[in-house]
Amino acid sequence: MAVKRRKISILKGFAYALTSFWAFVTIYPFFITLINSVKVNNEIFGKMFRMPGEWHFEYYAQAFFDARMGRYILNSLTLALMTTAVTAIMGSMAAYVLARTVFRFTKAIYLLFIVGVMLPIHATIIPVAKIVSGLGGIDNYFMLTLVYVTFQLPQAIFLLTGYMKGINREIDEAAMIDGCAMPAILFKIILPISMPMVATASIIVFIFTYSELIFSVILLSKVDLYTVSRGLMYFTGVYTVRMGPIFASIVMAVLPMVLIYVLFHEKVQRGMLAGAVKG
Amino acid sequence: MRNRKNLFYAIILLLPAFGLYCAFLLYPIAQSVYMSFFKWKGIMNTPMIYAGIDNYRRVLIDPFFWNSMLNVFWFMAGGFLVLMPLAFGLALVITSKLRGLRFLKTAYFMPVIIPLTAVGLMWVYILQPNWGLFNTILQGLGVKDAAINWLGDPKTAIFSVVLVNEWIYAGFNMLIFAAGIMAIPEDIIESAIIDGASSWQRLWRFTIPLCSESFKIFSILCVTGCLRHFDLVYIMTRGGPNHATEMPTTLLYSQAFVYRNFGQGNAIGVIILVCGLVLTIILNKFLSRED
Repeated sequence: MAVKRRKISILKGFAYALTSFWAFVTIYPFFITLINSVKVNNEIFGKMFRMPGEWHFEYYAQAFFDARMGRYILNSLTLALMTTAVTAIMGSMAAYVLARTVFRFTKAIYLLFIVGVMLPIHATIIPVAKIVSGLGGIDNYFMLTLVYVTFQLPQAIFLLTGYMKGINREIDEAAMIDGCAMPAILFKIILPISMPMVATASIIVFIFTYSELIFSVILLSKVDLYTVSRGLMYFTGVYTVRMGPIFASIVMAVLPMVLIYVLFHEKVQRGMLAGAVKG
Repeated sequence: MRNRKNLFYAIILLLPAFGLYCAFLLYPIAQSVYMSFFKWKGIMNTPMIYAGIDNYRRVLIDPFFWNSMLNVFWFMAGGFLVLMPLAFGLALVITSKLRGLRFLKTAYFMPVIIPLTAVGLMWVYILQPNWGLFNTILQGLGVKDAAINWLGDPKTAIFSVVLVNEWIYAGFNMLIFAAGIMAIPEDIIESAIIDGASSWQRLWRFTIPLCSESFKIFSILCVTGCLRHFDLVYIMTRGGPNHATEMPTTLLYSQAFVYRNFGQGNAIGVIILVCGLVLTIILNKFLSRED
């Protein structure tokens, strides 16, 4: 019995060691980036792990204005907000039809949407660039939003269709007898009930769009319109007399996502997991 | 009458989503297959010249393309040899009844929601050869002249990127395995304990086989994900040094938007697409036969 207990405590010790080690490995790089964002170069080079001696909070102002991170973050948030709104509306409209009607084509369309999640988006960048520039949509946020919506729709539709299928059909039927048409049932009854899943899907769309890189690279050319990811690319391999503002830029770019995650981590985890597991 | 009205509404409600989906996903995919048989310099109103399979021939004799496929392989190897054991190990611990682990679960997941460009940039500076954190720590640990140029040396660059990738996705994949472990009926494990199975036996005979669905999901995500890596490599190395970390997607990008060989770019795109579909089908078949 004593042997067994000791064995269990060794296992327990190992478990705690592994988990704390990985927690440290996960958090530490963020912490390092944070403390180096207020340090002068002399305190960074070879001493990244040290706490700052002088605190240069003005690096945040420099990153925000001179490195234009404020602008880029605002751009990304705008795009993410537009994409999220459009995806949520179009997605729930489509999901309602796919969850409720029994026309022959709905099942085929649903499958087509699900297959879409597996298609590598990079295989489409050349034709998308061609189509968008053919429509005169380079440097146009409206067009970029439509492109983003397209690539977020399959995931959102998958999550929403699953959720709406779980809602009791009698609710629809009662409303139909009362003379409600399909759109009215969707917007007045089903959508309010589906709000938890609409929120989950929206948060995921928001996170993905905020961080998106490839389409912002090929469909935006004006610096004023750059997104966070596009803006950060400028720093790759750059070593300047003041590294602090670069670290400050990274911290600011990350901040909105960390905030969302802290507020909604349960939803974020559940949504991303459900989205991944469908395959 | 009612049915016809419903059909009308169904079409109206589906149309925006499906229209966009056709315009910006299905049509481009078809277009990319079609354009892969033409030479085109990417300038509007210039003719596309039919080239047969010449674009594919050029891609397949390009040593950089094969190197990029090798890099895909390294990503997959990293996925199965590093990420899978790590994520599964973390999932085992996180689902056990030890206390104080809820917070950790939230922490592990964090890197996934951060923009890949920000994460990549963070690691570029941590791995910086002369003054970066990583080499500083190695020197502190007594590796006297640790000045390894992690991302600048063609021999280490791809492995550095692969390991950063595993760092990002460990927490995410942990949740996939944790979901599988939690779905195991508790009485199976309990009866195994009563039968006197050791924890090691329980792990191999019950937990792992009963999680096969999670392993299947992991495998498909890992394999298809490896084929489409772009952001992280692009921000950390731009495919360098000397093309050592080039991925099929970065080659596609530079062929099209740097060298303006849109035909070859599309040929690479089609290859990525076909490889992804074939591997997914094979994995689905192969892994579902096991259970």
